Amino acid sequence: MMDEILKDFLTETTEHIEGVESQLVLFERDPKDAALVAGIFRLVHTIKGTSSFLGLNRLQKVAHSAENLIGELRDGAPPTQTTVSLILGAIDRIKVLLEEIEQNGVEPDGDDRDLTEPLDAQAENARNPNAALPSIATADNNSAAIPASTGEPVRMQKASAAAKGPETIRVAVDTIERIMQLVSELVLTRNQLLELTRHREDDLVKAPLQRLSSLTTDLQDAVMRARMQPVSRLFSNLPRLVRELSGELGKKIDLVTEGDDTELDRQLIEVLRDPLTHLIRNSADHGIEMPMARAAAGKPEFGEIRVAASHEAGQITIAITDDGKGLDLERIKQKVLTQKLATEADLARMSEEDVYRFIFEPGFSTAVTVTNVSGRGVGMDVVRSNIELIGGSVSVTSKPGRGCVFSLKIPLTLAIAPALIIVAAGQRFALPQHAVVEAVAVGSGTDVVEEVQNSLVLKLREEVIPVVDLQSVLGLNRITETPAPDRLAVIMRVGGGAFGIIVDAVIDIQEIVVKPLSASLAHLKTFSGHTILGDGSVVLILDPAGLGSGLGIEKQAEKKREALKDLALSGATRLLLFRAGPGALKALPVSLVGRIEMIKPDNVYETNGGWVTLHQKRLMPLIPMHHDIRPGEKAFPALVIIARGRSMGLLVEQIIDIVEEELIVQLPASGGAIVGAAAIDGQPVDFVDISYYLSSAFAGAHSQSDDLGKRVVVIDPDGFVRDMLSPVLIAARYNVTVVKSFAEAELAVKQNGLFDALIADADNDQLGAAGAGLFRMEYGAPLPVIGLTASGTFTAETARGPVMVINKFETQSVLNALAAILACETKSFTGDSFFTPEMAA
Amino acid sequence: MKNALETATDMRVTTVGEESYFTVFVAGEIFGLPVARTQTVFRISSVTPVPFAHPDIAGLVNLRGRIVTAVSLRRRLKIAGGSEGVQNGLAIGIEHRSENFALIVDQVGDVLVVARSMEIPVPPHFDHERSRLTTALYRVGKLLIPALNIEAIFDFDKS
Repeated sequence: MMDEILKDFLTETTEHIEGVESQLVLFERDPKDAALVAGIFRLVHTIKGTSSFLGLNRLQKVAHSAENLIGELRDGAPPTQTTVSLILGAIDRIKVLLEEIEQNGVEPDGDDRDLTEPLDAQAENARNPNAALPSIATADNNSAAIPASTGEPVRMQKASAAAKGPETIRVAVDTIERIMQLVSELVLTRNQLLELTRHREDDLVKAPLQRLSSLTTDLQDAVMRARMQPVSRLFSNLPRLVRELSGELGKKIDLVTEGDDTELDRQLIEVLRDPLTHLIRNSADHGIEMPMARAAAGKPEFGEIRVAASHEAGQITIAITDDGKGLDLERIKQKVLTQKLATEADLARMSEEDVYRFIFEPGFSTAVTVTNVSGRGVGMDVVRSNIELIGGSVSVTSKPGRGCVFSLKIPLTLAIAPALIIVAAGQRFALPQHAVVEAVAVGSGTDVVEEVQNSLVLKLREEVIPVVDLQSVLGLNRITETPAPDRLAVIMRVGGGAFGIIVDAVIDIQEIVVKPLSASLAHLKTFSGHTILGDGSVVLILDPAGLGSGLGIEKQAEKKREALKDLALSGATRLLLFRAGPGALKALPVSLVGRIEMIKPDNVYETNGGWVTLHQKRLMPLIPMHHDIRPGEKAFPALVIIARGRSMGLLVEQIIDIVEEELIVQLPASGGAIVGAAAIDGQPVDFVDISYYLSSAFAGAHSQSDDLGKRVVVIDPDGFVRDMLSPVLIAARYNVTVVKSFAEAELAVKQNGLFDALIADADNDQLGAAGAGLFRMEYGAPLPVIGLTASGTFTAETARGPVMVINKFETQSVLNALAAILACETKSFTGDSFFTPEMAA
Repeated sequence: MKNALETATDMRVTTVGEESYFTVFVAGEIFGLPVARTQTVFRISSVTPVPFAHPDIAGLVNLRGRIVTAVSLRRRLKIAGGSEGVQNGLAIGIEHRSENFALIVDQVGDVLVVARSMEIPVPPHFDHERSRLTTALYRVGKLLIPALNIEAIFDFDKS
């Protein structure tokens, strides 16, 4: 059924419809523009004709009724709101039908009387305006009398349309992509040739090679151009959007577009659609004021949203400008403070631009009331991440009372990108330049990099930036024992957070032809693709976003708290997925894993039936998670677990991924090394019980530990502590009992005797200060109580009850506090003397 | 071994009831790859290792301007020990699910035309991993040649 004629009809019609929508809205503005109506009429007429020829009855009927109404407009009937809405409705229906036909090859069942009847009725009304709306219609009739004879201009436009415009042919996207691919390969071969002949003085070859080289560049350029499409494709549905928004919001808004013919890679046009829509919604909702307010401020009643595209220096800039009230600096500051994204002192230092940038933070919305259109705090961060994903950037400037400007800077294409060629452990990698901020020398002799709690940080000017050694992150084998003396840290900024990777050298900056990873490697988040360098060698392209999220570096240190809070609110925990033995993948909360290390066979020693490795002159026990993992034979990744000052390495076969998931054990296990199983991304995953391995790693050390088996009761009604804190406590070898309420805790005391410490949620009303105090009184025993709070604020009220109040997301503080309390308790416990606000803060 | 192979191989056009296999050697063992699936034999000049990839994936190689995923047949078959010439090794170019692969082997042999009647099913006591990667065995002269299952070899989801 899907024959060529039908296919052509579908593609052509879809394109024409995109064009007609903006014309309709323009027409509504300016009813005198008969040429516009004529254009719309022609399109619908063509659809009607072709669909009747192809036997598409529904399409034909809708087009027929719409044509009737548009015909009335053409003949001078006034374009009322109802008329335009009905026509837009008809065009929508035509689009739906076209989509259905494209998918199934046939028209869907059903009829469109719900649409055609009002269309016909409206056409009838329009024909007899006096009957329907006598008073207004007369006036309209008079004004509409001017363009009444439309025949002449229409014919003229037809003629001019035929005369101008270059000849075009329709080429399948696949064909263009294939040509692009071939050209990419040609470029690579050319580069190889140049590399080969660089050191040879052979004039015979040199001249033609030079010619080949420049021709290849020209060809590449020409093909790139063929992939380009004007941004008008992106702009075409904006008038409709703005029209709908002004209706919804009761505002009067004019849309102006500029630079419609600016060209952009077609891939990018699709990516930009959503962010652009969102920014315009935002401008309409938050920027443009109500007509009354505008009048009061001495502005024209109609607000203006201007979308301008321009091309400069190999980049496309799209600026969305509104003449509304501008961003509210004070309200943003307030919001920043309440969300703890920065301190008041920070804000005082920041420029206005910097403060405005906070609107791109996740969950940030200053709208007082949540409207249908925007203000839900989702979106702006998505806009930024979408734009950054394609190597672009978004910025905002604003003038109070005058409006604000969002500008998007976008690379011309995704296929070719400038990249740094870096070296780590002798292997070359490409790092897209768009995320790179700077490179800092960190070799010996400099002291900018420091190791803090087994992690590296870089002190750069005012900032402390987390850095990682690319070599160890990627598990590469060092070729020489001593790292190069002149190593560099390449600092990147991804989604507002900065981090660095330490590399041996940056050897080149060049334009690389980006190719996506093949299916069997596409799951690797660390790499975004691969490319071939001039010497013919294949290099992997590092993905800055993937690197950052793989390392858990998504936020700057000062925003870490906020990130954890978001995580807790969504109930998600970052889980490390890995393979160890057959069957389901295994998972551990990332918070439990200190670091991941490759353990090479030459650094593994067999002792006493177990394995150890030498790490920083200390022996670390290695526990293979499966008997197939034989550390003496090849290198395995080890999850290094640090508990109470000791570390152990859990050997696994392969690190698969880090995912953010709600940690809900769906199938509890009967015991052993697995806590239980759950489904992640539709696949079963086993949760590993860390305490099982810890006890086997430190089997001999048990008796030395004075706090082993200290019994801690955790009262937690909402499951957060149970899922996130209790594994940490278990890992620290506490005997943990989790209960949901004080009543259950009392029951547990009755059954098992007193606990050594109690941890309760201080944010919870029932469990708050009073409850904890009560529990202590009733049992009279010196039971240390730790209160957990999400806000991190320490108020006198909550302090009265619990001995300590600690931010519940700082698991390490909780452990420290618990250890401190229990250590003191064995000496002398005097109740409230443990109330130490310093520790709690 | 080469002799046994030669006696069994006379180059004929495949007819109905016959199949052609391209023979390859890994650690002295012989295997057959369906001729229809093999595209090219080439020598790998350099392999770019891919961190975090499946351990059987040796890395990426440049095959005439195309980037292909190199898979070690030795690692795939869990053949322990022996030095593998990944760099400068021989590889068979095979396309699977529109992805280009290079299967690294020690040596390549001839094309072998076998009759369906020479096919024997994979014995049940074969190593599980091996039998998953094998479609059938062919009795050729004194040799039993396992025919490799291309689908299973390049399917890293289920392994």
